[in-house]
Amino acid sequence: MAPILQVKNLSKAYGGLIAVNDVSFEVERGEILSVIGPNGAGKSTIFKLISSFVKPTRGEVLFEGERISGLAPHIVARKGVVRTFQETTIFKGLTARDSVVVAHHLRSRANLIDYYLNTAAARRDEDEFGRSSDEILEFLGLGEVKNEIAGNLPQGHLRALGIAIGLAANPKVLLLDEPFAGMNHDETRRAIEMTRAVRERGVTLLLVEHDIAAVMRISDRIAVINFGSKIAEGKPAEIQSNDKVIEAYLGVEDESIGI
Amino acid sequence: MEQVIVNGLYLGAQYALIALGLTLIFALMNVLNFAHGQMYVIGGFLVYEIYGRMHWPFVVALFAAAATLAVIGGLLERFLFRTVIRRSLREESTMLLAAGVAYFLDAAILLLFGEKQHGVPKIVRGVFVSDNLIIPYDRVLVACLAILFIVAFVLMMQFTKPGRAMRAMAQDRVAAQLMGVPVEFYSLVGFALGAMLAGLVGGLLVTITGVNSGIGGPISIKAFTMVMIGGAGVVGGAILGGFILGMLESVGLSVLHSYGDITYLAIFVSLLIFLSIRPNGLMGKPWG
Amino acid sequence: MRPTAQALFAAVFAFVLLVIVPWAIRVTHHDDFYYTLSSVALLAIASGGVWLTFYIGRINIGQGAYALIGGYASAIFVVKAGLSFWIAMPLAGVVCALVSVAIGLPILRLRGVYFAMVTLVLTEVARLSALALPITNGAMGITEIPPPGPLGLFGFNLLPSFASFANRNQAFYFLCVVMMMLCFAALYRLVNSRVGRLFAALRQNEDLASSMGLNVPALRVLAYAISSFLGGVGGAIFAAIAQSVYPSSFTVADSINFMLNCFLGGLGYVFGPMLGTLVLYFGWDLLFQAGQYQLLIYSGVMIILMLVLPNGLLSLRFSRKKGA
Ligand SMILES: Nc1ncnc2c1ncn2[C@@H]1O[C@H](COP(=O)(O)OP(=O)(O)OP(=O)(O)O)[C@@H](O)[C@H]1O
Ligand SMILES: [Mg+2]
Repeated sequence: MAPILQVKNLSKAYGGLIAVNDVSFEVERGEILSVIGPNGAGKSTIFKLISSFVKPTRGEVLFEGERISGLAPHIVARKGVVRTFQETTIFKGLTARDSVVVAHHLRSRANLIDYYLNTAAARRDEDEFGRSSDEILEFLGLGEVKNEIAGNLPQGHLRALGIAIGLAANPKVLLLDEPFAGMNHDETRRAIEMTRAVRERGVTLLLVEHDIAAVMRISDRIAVINFGSKIAEGKPAEIQSNDKVIEAYLGVEDESIGI
Repeated sequence: MEQVIVNGLYLGAQYALIALGLTLIFALMNVLNFAHGQMYVIGGFLVYEIYGRMHWPFVVALFAAAATLAVIGGLLERFLFRTVIRRSLREESTMLLAAGVAYFLDAAILLLFGEKQHGVPKIVRGVFVSDNLIIPYDRVLVACLAILFIVAFVLMMQFTKPGRAMRAMAQDRVAAQLMGVPVEFYSLVGFALGAMLAGLVGGLLVTITGVNSGIGGPISIKAFTMVMIGGAGVVGGAILGGFILGMLESVGLSVLHSYGDITYLAIFVSLLIFLSIRPNGLMGKPWG
Repeated sequence: MRPTAQALFAAVFAFVLLVIVPWAIRVTHHDDFYYTLSSVALLAIASGGVWLTFYIGRINIGQGAYALIGGYASAIFVVKAGLSFWIAMPLAGVVCALVSVAIGLPILRLRGVYFAMVTLVLTEVARLSALALPITNGAMGITEIPPPGPLGLFGFNLLPSFASFANRNQAFYFLCVVMMMLCFAALYRLVNSRVGRLFAALRQNEDLASSMGLNVPALRVLAYAISSFLGGVGGAIFAAIAQSVYPSSFTVADSINFMLNCFLGGLGYVFGPMLGTLVLYFGWDLLFQAGQYQLLIYSGVMIILMLVLPNGLLSLRFSRKKGA
């Protein structure tokens, strides 16, 4: 089967700074691919390019064979490529449940006027979104806190809520930027399970993560970025023994990738 | 032609100085100081009282105006803005406060100084005349002083410890605080400095255009315009914006003269178009 | 609030405005109150628009521009095109909405102080344009606008011509108050519908909203257009009451006041602008006796209010509830 996402010779320059330099890789349907690399390597920028929040200087991104670079971000999301954010950006002032309900917007069949007049179509959507939200929140272990204001939730719940919001948009490909950051060992373990479960729902996952141990456990494949360029790609075991990767990591910070 | 350029430079120098104070306060505390124009007016009136009516030396009057406004600015920061920033749920609340302060100062100015237009004796007499250029010497002096103040300000920001601290704060307040910059203290210093700059220009210009209590609002709007052209919160942008606005005004007044009073309409409309292409002005950092 | 409580509240509110207030005015012979209250209602409508732009996270200091455009548009429709006021008024709102779409598409990309400053400039642009354009008649403005004619619908005569009323101020009062209730009912419905939640999501986080597939630019412009529509309608009725409109009818000070009304009432509550307008307008009027100290006291009180209640008047009620 053709890859669901193809990243082709992607480059992005900010003024003189080349944040992403000629990066190519492909994502197969249903896999979990992780993008790793030292701080400032350009990982988040790659996500922004894929989700079309920034335009590439060169290169393109294909989703199901169709070019999505240059489209408006909400159009890309509608096609099924949905991104969550590195900072725990959620809708701070809404309740957890409302945030997820709002994120169902892509699935709505009623239009804004229906919503305003609260027609039957709008109520049908609302009911369906409510049910689906409850299901997603339950699935991610947020059932207890669904009526809390999102801004008041603890870190672990915020990450989960981020994923819940992403799932609500009914993605085919979900881009998660550092979903395990700020979690303790236990939380990470549960988050990994959660992420696997998301994949079981038929969602292809692309993640950026600094927690190398977690990445090694969860990923089918890993791409390594350093100074904007891809320096390696392969199965976790291959990456672990790759000299370039070890050098990149040891050269920048004292972080072991052996597990 | 030369006349237009010289007029533009003269206007630009004073505008740049006005914009500097506004942009400084914005950069440090994210406050849009609606009362900037009123501070300018207070500076003008102080110089009028001290130099124009009490006949003390101009330098003393200017110094007194600057010092008074620095104190006013410091007090405003310490007792109003700091409190509201701490208590409010939304950062926009400081705008309400700034608008309230602008009204308050407007009222106070009106009560203290009346609504008449006031002028002061020229600081230097004489006019420079050549084939295609007529400039009164006092304008030359004012422009030079304005440029001197701008240079002094920029040097201060670049090379002194408070300057470096304030630049760090403008970059990233939280990071600056983590690095040990006493941000509360420098907010106060910055506010005082911004107010002082406004008073300084007001005091300088009273010698040429005079002063009246109603010009605070329009001055603020001009200051906003310059900051938008150059990019908010950037020192270089404020200076550039000031000179550009000065030049546009000068050119507009001579070119559009025959169409009536549409210079500012033309400037504002171009500004809207310019901003829709470059939302952050010429030198502004990306927002959000 | 539950629907029944809502309906009850609305009914009481309407009863007070349409029955109690006119009765009180008749008993006390304070006929000038009609004019004052009409002004409050109209300013509240325009402020309600500003409130909606706040709701999507934009500080709008440009409502004066739309009030002015609305005033001129309806005046031109009535005086120069001979349209009925009842058509000219909504049409003026539509004109404002269209203008705001053209202007909003580019400028709504700006945020925070940048957007605020641009909208402030917009008010000046409107005033200067009114001075410069031939159709607006320069500084002379448009005067002698005839009062609203009869209102008919499908051949039914709903309202006679305003010229035939003995107490025209009272007629305008009813018009303004009814319009205000309609506008705020519509706003209330808006923010409590899913559309409102989408707007709230924009305010919270535009990037996240667009990665959820929300068409952020379109929603922003929609909110801004509704806001400007309300500004235009307010301005149009104002011109009808004053029977004139000048470039200085709505200035930067008005734009700032609209914003202040919202702040004072509290940005979190739909009815905040109504309360804020009432308090500010009456506060200002009451201080008339203070003579030359009017502005000083007014702004002083405003500053103190800001210090004590930085989140608006209605926050009082809510914080007490939370404590209980
Ligand atoms: N909007 C921007 N303007 C200018 N430079 C930028 C911008 N966004 C990112 N950069 C630069 O591009 C480089 C890559 O940034 P990016 O955020 O993609 O790194 P990252 O790999 O996600 O790092 P981290 O692990 O810290 O999240 C950095 O040097 C960053 O400073
Ligand atoms: Mg990153």
